[in-house]
Order: sequence, then C-alpha cells, then structure tokens
Amino acid sequence: MSAAVRTERLRKEFPMGWFRGRVLALEGLDMEVKRGEVFGLLGPNGSGKSTAMKMILGLLRPTSGKAEVCGFRAGTIAARRQIGFLPENPYFPNFLSGTELVRYYGRLSGMGGAVLEKRIQELMELVRLGGEAGKRPLRTYSKGMLQRVGLAGAMVGDPEILMLDEPTAGVDPAGSREIRDLILELRGRGKTVIFSSHLLEQVEDVADRVIILHRGQKLREGRLEDLLTRKKEWEVNVQGLKEEDRKELRGWLEKRGVQVVREGAPRERLEDYFLRSLPEEKRK
Amino acid sequence: MMGSLRRITAVAGNTFLEAVRQKVFAVLLVFALVLIYGANYFTEFSFQEQFKFLKDLGYASISLTGLLVGLLGASQLIPGEIERRTILTALCRPLRRWEFIAGKYLGLATLLAVMVAIMAIAVGGVLGWKEAQLIAREGSDPAVAAAIQKEARDPRLLQAVLLVEMKLAVVAAVAVFFSTIATSTTFVMAMTLMVYLIGHLESVAREQWLESGEVASWVAKAFLAVVAFLVPDFNLYNLIDEIIAGNAVSWRSTLEVTGYSAVYIAVLLTAASVLFEGRDI
Repeated sequence: MSAAVRTERLRKEFPMGWFRGRVLALEGLDMEVKRGEVFGLLGPNGSGKSTAMKMILGLLRPTSGKAEVCGFRAGTIAARRQIGFLPENPYFPNFLSGTELVRYYGRLSGMGGAVLEKRIQELMELVRLGGEAGKRPLRTYSKGMLQRVGLAGAMVGDPEILMLDEPTAGVDPAGSREIRDLILELRGRGKTVIFSSHLLEQVEDVADRVIILHRGQKLREGRLEDLLTRKKEWEVNVQGLKEEDRKELRGWLEKRGVQVVREGAPRERLEDYFLRSLPEEKRK
Repeated sequence: MMGSLRRITAVAGNTFLEAVRQKVFAVLLVFALVLIYGANYFTEFSFQEQFKFLKDLGYASISLTGLLVGLLGASQLIPGEIERRTILTALCRPLRRWEFIAGKYLGLATLLAVMVAIMAIAVGGVLGWKEAQLIAREGSDPAVAAAIQKEARDPRLLQAVLLVEMKLAVVAAVAVFFSTIATSTTFVMAMTLMVYLIGHLESVAREQWLESGEVASWVAKAFLAVVAFLVPDFNLYNLIDEIIAGNAVSWRSTLEVTGYSAVYIAVLLTAASVLFEGRDI
C-alpha cells in the first residue's frame, strides 16, 4: 500500500519581486508519512512547515521535486479527495453559521442530499457543536469553537488524511486538550493526522513520529520513542516510601555503582493542574 | 459533470448569500428614493417629456447602481478571499480552480441580474403610477389616454433591461479576469475602470482616426485591431439610449449584442481560469 504522504526533494522558492531575487522556503524535503500515523511537523516560524503543507495540498506549486498523496500526485483532484485541511488561524466566511459552513464544505467536496445532512449532524456532535451552537453565526464563535468547526469542515468529506496547521494556536488549555483528544480519536478511527505545532508538550502527547525543520531544511526525523527515550536511564515512580527507606535505597544503589541522576517528588504538569482546578463542566 | 455543477452552484450560492447577508440590497432603497423623487419632478412638462425623463433617470440609476455593485463586488471576489484567507479552505478541496472562478462569477452575475430585475420592476411600477396620475389629470380624451398608456407600457423596455444586464455582466467578467492576477482590490478596480473607459472610447476613436486618413501604416491598423479584440466595445450598449429615446431597436440587434457579450464573458472567464490555475495561494 502506498504511503499516506510522500515527498521527494520538495523545494520551494518564492520570488521577492522584480530585481530582488528569490527566497528559499523549503529545501529538498524528503518525507514519508505512513497510513494511520499521527505525524508532527515541528519548527520555528519560517521553517517551512506551512509551505510544505500547502505544496502537499496543491495550493503552492513546487519549484522542484514532487509530492504524492496516497499514491496520487499532490494537487490533483484525486489527491485532494484524500485530505482534509485546517489552516493556521483559519478565517471562515463569517456570515455563515457553523452548520452552514460544514454544509458548504461538504458541497465543495461533491456531497449533497441526505448523506451530507447526516454527516453534518454526526460531525457537529463529534466536535460538540450540535444543536443551537451550530446555528449561531460564526462571528459569535470563540477561537476554540472556530477551530472545532474547522475540524468538522476538514472531516466532512471523510478524508483518509487530516492536515492541521497549528490547530491549537491561540486556544485556551481546555480547548487545546479537546483538539488533542479529537486527534487521538481520529487516530483510533484509523485516520492519518499530520499536524504542525509550536506547543511541544502537545506534540509529545499525540505524535507517533515527528520531523524537525529549520530554515527550510530537515534537521531530525524519527519516532518520538526513539528520539526522546534516555536509554541509559531507568525511572520508577513509587508511593509511600519513608525517609529512612529512601536513604537505604540510595545506599543500596551506590553500593552497586549505580549513579543517581535525579531524585525527588515528581511534579504534575501545569496544564493538568490547571484543568483539574476548573469546575467539571468547564473541563469539557 | 454533476459533481462539477454541484461544486459551481455551491460557490455561486455562497457568493450570493454573502452579498445578501452583507445587506447589498440596501442599495436598492436609495434607488427607490431617487425614483420616487424623480417621479414628482417636471410635472409642469408634457407627459411625453415626463415619461422620457423618468425612463432616463430609471435606466441611468439602474446602470450606475449595477456598475457600482458589479465593480465593487467583482473586485473583491478573489483578492477578498485571499486577504481573508477563506480561499485556503475552499481550494484545498476537490474543487477545480476553474469551477471556483465559474461559481464566483455565477454568484455575482445572479446578484446583478436579481438587482437589475428588481430595479426594472420598480421603474415599471413608477411608470404605472405616473400613468395613473396623468390619466386622472389629462386622460379625459381617449386618444390622449391611449398615448399616455403607450408611453408608460413600452415593451421595448425589456430589451433595455436585457442590454443593461449584459453590459454589467461583461464589466463583472473584466473585473474577475483582473482579480485572478492581482493581489489588491484597488488594482482590479482601476484596471476594470480603465477597460470600461477604453471600451467606450475605442470605436469613436477608431472612426475618427480612420476618417481623418491619418492611419496609413499597417502598424497603426494592427494596433487598432488588437485593442478592438482585447477590449469589449461598450458603445454597442448605446442601444439602451436609443430605446429610452423612443427609437425602434430590433430584437435581432439586441440579441446580437447579447451574443457578443456572451462570447466576451466566455473568453474572459476562460483566460481568468488559465491564469488562476498556475497561481500560488
């Protein structure tokens, strides 16, 4: 089976204007995303993440190299049928309601009739915008709601791959966690998710593999497990260890020549603490 | 084919809905006020002059309102979507770029057609109102009453409505063409207005030049031919003025101008689609 996305020496230069030369946005990117994988594109601003995504979607033409989506040349109708896209800070036609937006995107994907209406209902429930919320104009939506309705719009054609550019940018921790949970749910349904993010903790939570870009070049690529695991160390978290037991344990380890690198009470992540502090209904 | 049609109508419907929800039709209120004011003007003149004035005012207002809405709307069509970045979530779907252009244009053309139709009905209503007023005042003689009726219920006004629609549709197509290569709304409006002015002047200039005998070289002739090919001849729509003035204009001429407009629109939209196909978004 062909890869979900494959790029070969993908390169993009943008003209700066008359007599001002060209700027290099992406240099020879080789990348392969397997089907069913959650794949993170990491890198600072201007590293080429969005450019790579836009070339895979066919919104930008590569200067050289090629990209394929499920075996189809990127940018072709067949390739675009396989992808749902949520751009960074998405702007939607704000004169529409949430439901109307998803219906519009469904019709652009060639859907219609009862099939489309059923799909809209399912998706609006999935992103928790069912009922009255879906009927409200988009200009009254919060940032988190806009991201969620954008996700529903990206999923309407039931694509194989979801491409999310900074899906949690500007969203509060609760909204951000919702999006993360949605990504995990999509993976559970066998979808391939490619996303970029500055929030590395979130990437760590959901991504199977990542690629790190800098100034248009690939610096690192691999499974998070391989990249982040300190293979020479071992960690055990225990409860109810008394002070004298701790001293004894340390002595026991030193006798065996084991170096204690880190010791102490583990800290909770601020995001988890924050979410736990909120009332139950606000966490959802 | 059905898929294409569904996608084009989706884009067209959205474009139309946007205009409606952004209250573009409110412009029609201003138009109605101008008409009502105009209907009560020059009441001391003969009924023929009053009808002529009303038709002139009505059709000039339709043209101007349509031109403003068409020019502003068409200039926004593509650059507006790019500036707001709403185009990204549309063009990443299995939607061909020519379908997007066709849908956008169809939405705007429908908006213009609906607006012109509403305004034309309003002009018809005001003419009817004037007819009733004049018959009540001067129509005791059946011959005068018949003459008033003939002025008020002129079927040639339908030809004028069709010609106004076609002229606006060509202007909108010119704006759509420029909007596929431009990044700013101002550039599109400036270029479209320039083409509009050249289109009004080209045939006059050509006649003057040819009659004066100054055009001897083949270079000058070729230049005139190129301009005539590239720029629609907006003087053809002067048939509207002939109709308003009460002169006979055949349906054949009207349909010829309609056909000419359709060909220009098709050429402009095809060129726009070709140019837009290779554009980075």
